[in-house]
Amino acid sequence: MGQKIRDAYFIPGRENGKRVDSRILEERIQRAVEQGFRKIEVEACGQHGIGGRLWKAGDEEVVVYVSGPPGQRVGSMGFPNTRIEVLGNSSDDVGWLNAGAEIVVHGHAANGVANGMAQGKIYIAGNIGARGMTMTKFNPRFTPPELWVLGSVGDYFAEFMAGGIAVICGYNPQNPDNVLGYRPCVGMVGGKIFVRGKYLGFSEKDAKRVQISEEEWAWLCENLKTFLKKIDKEHLYEELSKYEDWDLIVARSPQEKRSSSLRPISDFNKNVWCKELGQGGLIGDLVDYDRSPIPVITTGELRRFKPVWENKKYAAPCEFACPTGIPVQERWALVREGRFEEAADMALFYTPFPTTVCGFLCPNLCMQNCTKQKYNMTPVDVTLLGKASENAKLPELPPITEKKVAIIGGGPGGISCAWQLRLKGYDVTVFDRHKELGGKISEYIPKTRIPQDILKKDIERIKKVLPHVQLEENIGKEKFKELLSEYDFVVIATGAQRPRILPVEGKERLVSALEFLGKSKKDEIDPGERVVVIGAGNVGCDVATEAHRLGARDITLIDIQEPASFGKERKEAEKAGAKFKWPVFTKKIIDKGVITDSGELIPADTVVISIGDVPELDFLTEDIETDRGFIKVNEYYQTSNPKVFAIGDVVKLGLITDAIGSGRIAAQAIDSLLKGETPQLKKRPEIDKQRMNPAFFDPRIASYKDVKECANECMSCGRCRDCGICITLCPQGAISRLALDNGDFELVVDDDRCIGCGFCADVCPCGIWNLIPNEPMF
Amino acid sequence: MLSNEPITPSQLSLKDLPWLIYWDKEKCQLCGRCVAACPVRAIELGTFRQRIVETPINNKEAHTNLYKIYYGIKQKTDPGHACIGCGLCSKVCPNQAIIPFHNEEPDKLKFHINLGGQPRRRGGRRNVPHTILDRIKFIRISMLTDPALDAGRHEFELRTLLGRVLPPEENLKCYKENGWVPPVREIYPLIIGGMSFGALSPNMWEGLVMGVAYLNEELGMPVRMSTGEGGCPPRLLRSRFLKYIILQIASGYFGWDEIIHAIPEMKEDPCAIEIKYGQGAKPGDGGLLMWYKVNKLIAAIRGVPPGVSLPSPPTHQTKYSIEEAVAKMIQSMYMAWGFRVPVYPKISGTSTALAVLNNLTRNPYAAALAIDGEDGGTGAAYNVSMDHMGHPIASNVRDCYLNLVKLGKQNEIPIIGAGGIGKRGNLAANAAALYMLGASAVQVGKYIMQAAAGCVGSETDRCNICNIGLCPKGITSQDPRIYRRLDPEKVAERVVDVFLTFDTELKKIVAPLGRSTSLPIGMSDALGIDDYHAAERLKIKYVV
Repeated sequence: MGQKIRDAYFIPGRENGKRVDSRILEERIQRAVEQGFRKIEVEACGQHGIGGRLWKAGDEEVVVYVSGPPGQRVGSMGFPNTRIEVLGNSSDDVGWLNAGAEIVVHGHAANGVANGMAQGKIYIAGNIGARGMTMTKFNPRFTPPELWVLGSVGDYFAEFMAGGIAVICGYNPQNPDNVLGYRPCVGMVGGKIFVRGKYLGFSEKDAKRVQISEEEWAWLCENLKTFLKKIDKEHLYEELSKYEDWDLIVARSPQEKRSSSLRPISDFNKNVWCKELGQGGLIGDLVDYDRSPIPVITTGELRRFKPVWENKKYAAPCEFACPTGIPVQERWALVREGRFEEAADMALFYTPFPTTVCGFLCPNLCMQNCTKQKYNMTPVDVTLLGKASENAKLPELPPITEKKVAIIGGGPGGISCAWQLRLKGYDVTVFDRHKELGGKISEYIPKTRIPQDILKKDIERIKKVLPHVQLEENIGKEKFKELLSEYDFVVIATGAQRPRILPVEGKERLVSALEFLGKSKKDEIDPGERVVVIGAGNVGCDVATEAHRLGARDITLIDIQEPASFGKERKEAEKAGAKFKWPVFTKKIIDKGVITDSGELIPADTVVISIGDVPELDFLTEDIETDRGFIKVNEYYQTSNPKVFAIGDVVKLGLITDAIGSGRIAAQAIDSLLKGETPQLKKRPEIDKQRMNPAFFDPRIASYKDVKECANECMSCGRCRDCGICITLCPQGAISRLALDNGDFELVVDDDRCIGCGFCADVCPCGIWNLIPNEPMF
Repeated sequence: MLSNEPITPSQLSLKDLPWLIYWDKEKCQLCGRCVAACPVRAIELGTFRQRIVETPINNKEAHTNLYKIYYGIKQKTDPGHACIGCGLCSKVCPNQAIIPFHNEEPDKLKFHINLGGQPRRRGGRRNVPHTILDRIKFIRISMLTDPALDAGRHEFELRTLLGRVLPPEENLKCYKENGWVPPVREIYPLIIGGMSFGALSPNMWEGLVMGVAYLNEELGMPVRMSTGEGGCPPRLLRSRFLKYIILQIASGYFGWDEIIHAIPEMKEDPCAIEIKYGQGAKPGDGGLLMWYKVNKLIAAIRGVPPGVSLPSPPTHQTKYSIEEAVAKMIQSMYMAWGFRVPVYPKISGTSTALAVLNNLTRNPYAAALAIDGEDGGTGAAYNVSMDHMGHPIASNVRDCYLNLVKLGKQNEIPIIGAGGIGKRGNLAANAAALYMLGASAVQVGKYIMQAAAGCVGSETDRCNICNIGLCPKGITSQDPRIYRRLDPEKVAERVVDVFLTFDTELKKIVAPLGRSTSLPIGMSDALGIDDYHAAERLKIKYVV
């Protein structure tokens, strides 16, 4: 058993050969202190917590000598008045939660030395086990705790150390290769560790090695002396006090911890990744283009979309719908620019009947197809422009060349074709069997529908243009052959003149619509009170209107199906009180009227048949193919005889504007052929109606006051109005207006500014801008 | 819609669309960025005509109409331009004036997204937001019973084995008789699942592999990534980084000629070969790279002509039985690298997984079985396959594991689980649940896309346009104008972040269970769930 310390109050750990219970021993130590003993020797026998909590001595120093083997937690919760000397080795947790005691262990100490210590000093003369100096604290009210170890420390030293100073002298260590044990300093946030001897690192994340300052070295030397004195090893001072043998490890600050010591990725990319793979990284061998980061919003070639200014690329719906092909939007543009006369004159490049047809007779397909119709807005009124073209001036006509073209038929189609050819300088001759040029317009269309002075003006202008017109000339087969040999081209424009007749009993009583209209126009027919018109199309409607004008009061139009009539003709007929009946099938015609299939009699003084007309083609040579009574043509109205063209109703029944249009197309083809070129259809594709923006136009206009208002309200589909809204709205200021030398202009985009948002395309009233995908990059 | 046109069945109104654009006139500065950025051009500049009727109250002056125009952002309603909710408009808006939000009205677009009789195809994930994995809790906490470990300071070895682990005596026997033992790799238990070069943009793919290389070489984490079916860039095949790569071979065999040509020049063996028989997102359907994405580069790597759609057959064409499919393919792939590289099949989650597994247990070459559950993602698939086909991963893995236990082979053939792990952001918890149900490793794809590259896809049918190459983040596009938005270095950085975070979180889960030196594979006594039937089915504890 241990030696007895002189003057000390002795408390044995064994009684009667039996170990004293830790609780009893503690009571005895506390009582001894209470009784005034200040020097106590405890002959320990594995008892727990010896020497702690001796506060009852107040400020007076109490010294506890521990002889014999103590249990765990010697000096736990030790007070500053306490000094404990363990004379031999010590078990676990020496100085646990030490709050100020000085504890000297003259031998080795096991695990957990100084765990949770906040004040006081622990001096170990040997080595210690695992988890020494863990969770130690520093309270600014007190001096920091200290742990001195002469030898080495075990694993997990200074885990979560938050304060205090540890000094590991590395003298006669347990493992000379590593005096700091395995994984020291994990979670260390405060305090310092002086260490002498070899060690295998510590948690670099939490702690770092620093230079020992002069002040620190002085502190170390001074306190080393004290330590060695406490453990009776003063002779070692010289050996242990060599500056170069010592390291100092301190906790990193939170700021230092945050700054990761990891290699930056960019550095890895450059020095590891690309070094192994080669320049350009993963696919540097396969592509040579730039793959560096770009923003979402880009300009230039990096835009996903780009705007294009497609001025006049597409036909406006009006132009597209017009069989004659008049670019109506261009005419409105001229009106907007105040060039009113030019707008009127321009029509003459397309039609010889700018007023008669556009202003009066045409159902105006242009207006029917007007974009504004899509938005329940009133289409721009082209009839106003037509009517205003009454005095359109002819362009200067080119001199006539020697190329000759014969036109058979002086109706709208024939005149149109002749007109166009003459405008191009060809020598054209028009043959017609009537007394007057104009065909159906002159012969059959009621005066109520076209003021005769207007028609006369158009016809007069036509006559000025066409040098050779041979009227009252009937072309027979022989004459036709003659023309073929005399002229470079022959154009057949003879229309459909032969009425279709129903093969019913009494058909000889029928009056054909053309005959009726021809006579009515000259007031040479009296239809009587009651008129029945078989066939309720637009021509039938004209008959009804004319019959009413001539005194008929009970007019019935019958049809085998829902009547196809529409527009002005239909309205006029209805105004005249005409009744429409369908389906009605005619059985026979008697003097009292029409007997229908069902046996009903529809009384009539005059029965007019108006179920259409067919061409008279007796004069044709056999090389010209026909199909069911009409001449077969290609898209340029060329017949199976390349020298012969056929246009208008002789090809297919249609509107006046269809005839005019076909004349123009045929003329263009003839022009190309005479020039040795291949004919081409010059029709532009129609613009998508969704491209226009209706927001800028007044939705409440029910009818237009004048051409000026029309011009302003025209959406100018596909033709830039030069309004500048795109320039103003472009968020990048990328659009500018470039004036061209010819007086025209264009809008250009600065690709380096444009981000491809498409605002220009979205806002454009006229649908000029289009946003298209940029060219694929790779 | 034009005001004067008849309506057609597929004309939709805002009310019918799944995503609506909220636009604030007060905040908008009409900078055009949102419109320029929108991947599907769902928005445009609106020109709004406003009518103000002035009615004087004194009845003396005339009433007047005044029209004014204001400009703003307008949403298109035709199915071809329906908003996908990606939010790129919000991202680029300098004034926070625009944001898409989900329409409360049940989606009507769904009924019209098949114009021309073509069923909807898309990328992304199953549009079901829940996963049973999120409901599994870790209930066995080591309190005083055994020392709990500290996730922060304890050293963990969270690794798993990929390869056939024969029992020691069999291993010895195998070596004695054949001079060969099955190759086994020690790898990190979180694998980046197969997303092909082609499905992903070059920048995304490079970022992923760079991140994986970094994790291996700078942090010592043996993370592996599967190539998916799209070949492998030739440089990678010839680099030391190949050892971090699991080469996938699937029914289209895209890019395999390049791989074969590279074999003599390989510095390292690949980690493993994954034979893809199925994919969780579209079970029974082959890969599908749509033509939008097959540019010259992708064509070169895959060995196909550019500009064509690349569907893979639903099955490998020359296999007619499970025995043949497994044995023949595994054998061939082993031979290519001299039997040094583990080879395993990957199947989609299916009630027939046990049959496959049983077959594999009899084949000493089978290195693992990967199962991809119904919540797996894809770059392109039929919507119907994605939303309605497949098997949940949890019970599939569990059944397989318990079957191995029955056979006494639970430590011999690793099961790799995939499909929806971390679908709601709980990557470590979902992965840990699967390990404890019996998976040796898990594969993730979508989570990586979301966390490492900012994929905005979600189970509310957000975005999901990976298939047409217009990915707002540049993740799944082959158009440099789009994919250059993604910086490979930043992706790599995020991959590293993801794995470091996962590592810490996984430790936070397994440390309290008292595990540190091995992954708690099959440690199902730690699992509980508050659903009685699920507990019964998964054979874990029912806890309330």
